[in-house]
Amino acid sequence: MSPEETPEDGSKRELFEATAIPFMRALHNTALRLTHDPQDAADLVQETFLRAYRTFASFTPGSNCKAWLFTILYSIFVNQYHQAKRRPRMESVEELEERFHHFVQAPGDPASDITTVEGWGWRWSPEVERALRQLPEDFRVPLLLVDVEGLSYEEAASVLRCPVGTVGSRLYRGRMALFAMLQDYANQAGYGKGSEPDQ
Amino acid sequence: MTDSAKHLGSALQDFLDGRLDPARQVEVQAHLEACPQCRGELEALRWVRDIALKKLPGEELPPALAERVATTLDAVDQHARPAASPILGRRWRRWAAAGALVTAALILLLSWPPSPDLADAVANDFTAYSSGALDLDLRSSDGEAVESLFAAGGIEFRTRVFDLGMMQYQLAGGRIHHLRNRPSVLFAYRGPEGRNLICQMYEGQLTELPRPDEVREHDGITFKVYRAGRLTLVFWQEGAVVCVLASDAESEAVIQLAYAKAVKV
Repeated sequence: MSPEETPEDGSKRELFEATAIPFMRALHNTALRLTHDPQDAADLVQETFLRAYRTFASFTPGSNCKAWLFTILYSIFVNQYHQAKRRPRMESVEELEERFHHFVQAPGDPASDITTVEGWGWRWSPEVERALRQLPEDFRVPLLLVDVEGLSYEEAASVLRCPVGTVGSRLYRGRMALFAMLQDYANQAGYGKGSEPDQ
Repeated sequence: MTDSAKHLGSALQDFLDGRLDPARQVEVQAHLEACPQCRGELEALRWVRDIALKKLPGEELPPALAERVATTLDAVDQHARPAASPILGRRWRRWAAAGALVTAALILLLSWPPSPDLADAVANDFTAYSSGALDLDLRSSDGEAVESLFAAGGIEFRTRVFDLGMMQYQLAGGRIHHLRNRPSVLFAYRGPEGRNLICQMYEGQLTELPRPDEVREHDGITFKVYRAGRLTLVFWQEGAVVCVLASDAESEAVIQLAYAKAVKV
């Protein structure tokens, strides 16, 4: 080892590669869903790892590295991409919530049953990705962090720098809005009132 | 009012995500048995969480991304090492200074007589960068990281990545470049109204440049200004290094940026 390569340097790089780099794909997927642009997403991930590596000393071993990386990524996104890339909303969340409640109001509904989803086979459609893209960012990001990436409410609140209750309410409204946008797709696939679950 | 008439709203999500205390959990369960609407709402929320989003497929990582990240980490490591040993750092700077002198002498020899087309080369680089044909090695708004890239890439002359935030130009990143076959560094900014600005630094002399459209003096520094269509190039000398700003922003604004950042050496 040369005098320039202290053991601390070597172990820092190794530890970082073992701890942080495995989340590159998760970061990249979320970056794509935030920026909608492959080049911007790659830049965002690169910048996230750069900042994470330079501040790796501030990371507490044993804490959730994934949540820490998402905090950095989201902070860069908000500061550098957010204003320039904000997209117009297709439909307000309030309208989507109204559609959601209209759909679930079920006078005499025989088929809505708590076991329905468990019998529903999974099949992916670009519809889901499209609907997610149209969802306003305030509601999309909690869905990405909690439902897609598996962060807890508390971790998502730390990423978004907001109270845990705000994460919960945005998640609730985001889920309702997403369902409202995907009603037709869900129905076609067999989900919903008066229909059998898809197999 | 019956329980079923008083729908649960967001408590359904707390129930779904296991965030209720046991007593409330039992109450919600009892309500659900009597309320088809809340059952339907719960199912819809569960469908979004467990079906629509849980198995959302991800994109494959672009093959070059892991390499880009590794290069970035290398640059940080390279930048950190000289600082880790002050003695080595001093030696390294002495070697770098000696190397820079030798390199400067070689460049002077090799580039004589003066090359008339350095300004054209900078203009072409600006056009290539703006059209996307010239990519950056590192995309980052962090000036220190971009300087680390230059150091890691073997650039031996002194580089200064400017902070132009006050002028509303944000650093986009940098690349190790060649300007008419001589090593240079190129870093780019994004300014107001999406205007691009690039800066290049290379070892050389202002005297190598062709006759400018205008010569200006400011704070004892000579600036050579070239204009081609909407493009403005401003060159000045800092020790053994020539700096140039190129942009299609308003010409006087480019010159003022050069005034603000030039340092008399």
